[in-house]
Amino acid sequence: MRAILLSLVLATLPAFADLDYRLQPRQVAENTWVLVGSTDNFSRDNGGNIVNTAFIVSEAGVVVIDTGPSLRYGQALRRAIARVTDRPVAQVLLTHHHPDHALGNQAFADVPIAALAHTREQLAEEGDALAENLYRMVGDWMRGTQVHLPTLTSEPGLHVFGSHRLRLLAMAGHSRADLAILDETTGVLFAGDLLFHDRAPTTPHSPGLDVWQEDLARLQVLPWKIVVPGHGPVSEDATPFEQTRDYLGWLDTLLGDSAAAGLDMTEVIDAPIPQRFEPLSLTRYELVRSVSHLYPRYERARMARIER
Amino acid sequence: MRRIVLCLALLAASNAVLALEPGPDPVPSVMWEFYRKQWIKDEPYRFDARVKVVAPPFAEDARQVPLLVDARGLPGRVRRIIAWAELNPLPMIFDYQPGPEVSPLLALRIRIEQATPLRAAAQTEDGVWHVGSSLIDAAGGGCTAPSVARAQPDWEQRLGQVLGARHARDGLQRLRVEVSHPMDNGLQSGIPEFFIEQADLFDGQGQPLATLRLFPAVSENPNLSFESRTSGPTRLELRDNNGNPFQAVLE
Repeated sequence: MRAILLSLVLATLPAFADLDYRLQPRQVAENTWVLVGSTDNFSRDNGGNIVNTAFIVSEAGVVVIDTGPSLRYGQALRRAIARVTDRPVAQVLLTHHHPDHALGNQAFADVPIAALAHTREQLAEEGDALAENLYRMVGDWMRGTQVHLPTLTSEPGLHVFGSHRLRLLAMAGHSRADLAILDETTGVLFAGDLLFHDRAPTTPHSPGLDVWQEDLARLQVLPWKIVVPGHGPVSEDATPFEQTRDYLGWLDTLLGDSAAAGLDMTEVIDAPIPQRFEPLSLTRYELVRSVSHLYPRYERARMARIER
Repeated sequence: MRRIVLCLALLAASNAVLALEPGPDPVPSVMWEFYRKQWIKDEPYRFDARVKVVAPPFAEDARQVPLLVDARGLPGRVRRIIAWAELNPLPMIFDYQPGPEVSPLLALRIRIEQATPLRAAAQTEDGVWHVGSSLIDAAGGGCTAPSVARAQPDWEQRLGQVLGARHARDGLQRLRVEVSHPMDNGLQSGIPEFFIEQADLFDGQGQPLATLRLFPAVSENPNLSFESRTSGPTRLELRDNNGNPFQAVLE
């Protein structure tokens, strides 16, 4: 009888039994590995593994690009790195302050973690609130996760790690402080969330879609061979650029035209989404969010002072 | 005898009203009966999908949740619409009385404290309340989050500034305004209630077009959309609960 009870209890607890990200590093260039996350939304099934992280195994140690959504992810990333190389982690580079990219920091507390100056400010100010929201969305995967702030400021320019020459570029279009990294040795461009691939871009901290478009124009002409977007599959061609620029261009036009027609937010949220964006996941969800983030600016641009 | 007949007649009449079948509540909630008794009282009502309560499925920013109430689909004139967020600590949103020249439609932004049913009850001239409903999900905290407007150093200089635009749409006029005001709801420690409570529309001749009472569930820097049949200048008269009057004219 007790055995039956025990097995019944165990049968009701599958969700607690298996919180394993099963990270599989994929080699995309010499010494260069990417952990490609899902293009779905945060959920209790994926534990927030909706993000791409990466690492470069240089002669001067391993350079890690982003740490993922949780302490548990950070630890899994660290084990995945150890399966590939026995070299120590030399440095973490954060692309920006969003929780899915920076909440694995705790697992790298023993190494320097670098981020752009404004990213450091954003994480200090908003990190706790962003982490709290992830706890709500993915639950127990987050257990023990706390914001661990970067310890170094990333300066734009050339940074050499062994034979890898990393060009750091400070941009702003996605989150007001976005670090893009071009490995001039391998031609791999780590674009962070300036690029989305097969997933609708997110806009919560964007200073403006025009700023983002300028960043993308600057990035696209760099001498890259392989591009690693912040979300979605790695690409050897310009598809992620084309998708992101097309989507942001459409969004900009939609918001501008809607404001000119006097539409309210609820009406813009309902706008038809062109069929060409069908391969992108989460378009309606992100449109709801983007209207909330961006529409007030478009509305005000169409209004005049009328008080007497 | 005449008195008995009268009593019977009255009884029959009240029965007819009581007999109005409200139908099933599309978003059952524990607070429905409480607020129905408070605002609809014992007047006849029915749940009615022709009163559209349009909001996003989830609140991306719980301090600025867009809400559009549209009762244009009801037959007959709508004399009053009241709206509330049922699980808010301060549920009441607005009490709107559109005149005959103004559509029973209002868009604005609200604060919500948690996932909640949203309700709009539109009363037609026969006295019946038609209740539209929807449900919104939220991470929460919109009512207790500090005001963004107040954190800006020069907010007092901008108090009562009004931005506006008029758009011709489907033969009607869409009137849009945004008013600079912190709309303090009293839930912030040390900051008393300070909000715009009245926003009335008048035509060029000074005739009233619509009367709107606002409540502190309305977001800071209220953003309002009206729909009107009149094309001349429209005057907006606002007053906050401290008695500050503000005026604006849409030409």
